[in-house]
Amino acid sequence: MTGSYATAITVIALMLAVWTLVLVAMNRSPGLSLLAAASVLEALLVGFLIGGIVQMVGSDHHFARAEFVGYLLACLAIPPMAVAWAREERSRSGTLVIAFAFLLTPVMVLRVQQVWTGPLV
Amino acid sequence: MSDTVDRSGPAPTGQGFGRILVAVYGLFALAATARSGVQIATKLSEAPLAYLLSAFAGIVYIVATVSLARGDVSSRRLATMAISVELVGVLVVGGASRLFPDSFPHATVWTGFGSGYGFVPLVLPFVGLWWLRHTR
Repeated sequence: MTGSYATAITVIALMLAVWTLVLVAMNRSPGLSLLAAASVLEALLVGFLIGGIVQMVGSDHHFARAEFVGYLLACLAIPPMAVAWAREERSRSGTLVIAFAFLLTPVMVLRVQQVWTGPLV
Repeated sequence: MSDTVDRSGPAPTGQGFGRILVAVYGLFALAATARSGVQIATKLSEAPLAYLLSAFAGIVYIVATVSLARGDVSSRRLATMAISVELVGVLVVGGASRLFPDSFPHATVWTGFGSGYGFVPLVLPFVGLWWLRHTR
């Protein structure tokens, strides 16, 4: 998987996580600026999915393909699901859910890369 | 949360700390279901026990997530049942995978007491049951 693109996603997700955790510490609800930044991350994740599938189709490399696509889809699904669930209750806990989702994104990206390079388990 | 406490029913299980708990349950529902879906679709014959166990765990997590999120009286009962099954599952599968590792060559969420997931699957049912008691 393209290293720099995945690194960019990881860095942005971690920055968003820090931002959200600061909001949690200050007991503030996430505003439009955070949501806008989160949509940038989401757009990058859409690119990650498309790029990943294109790379997968163009490769004869042997790896767990279904799992690979599964992790790519999970990367994409987690932030919006967290935001939707958190916005139903505007509280510190709700904001923390969004922070968790951003912290999870790098882990999921890492799993995508592991599945890509790893042997067929 | 409002200042007036509604005594007509139990406190909702999907609010406050429950919001985080439901999110974690939802994540495990997604992880276990997706994993077992892929495994069953691509290589069921390799380790049917492990993969069907993953699917079972996924269903338990889905039931726990939805019932905790709803939080009404019947949902609380369902959540208590699902989380109890989850607790028994992680302890039995965790113990069995330690005692008979040969029978568990392929990992599930509950293998090794959830060691592949930072032992969160072991801690989660205790937190879930505590939360159900706490919000009663």
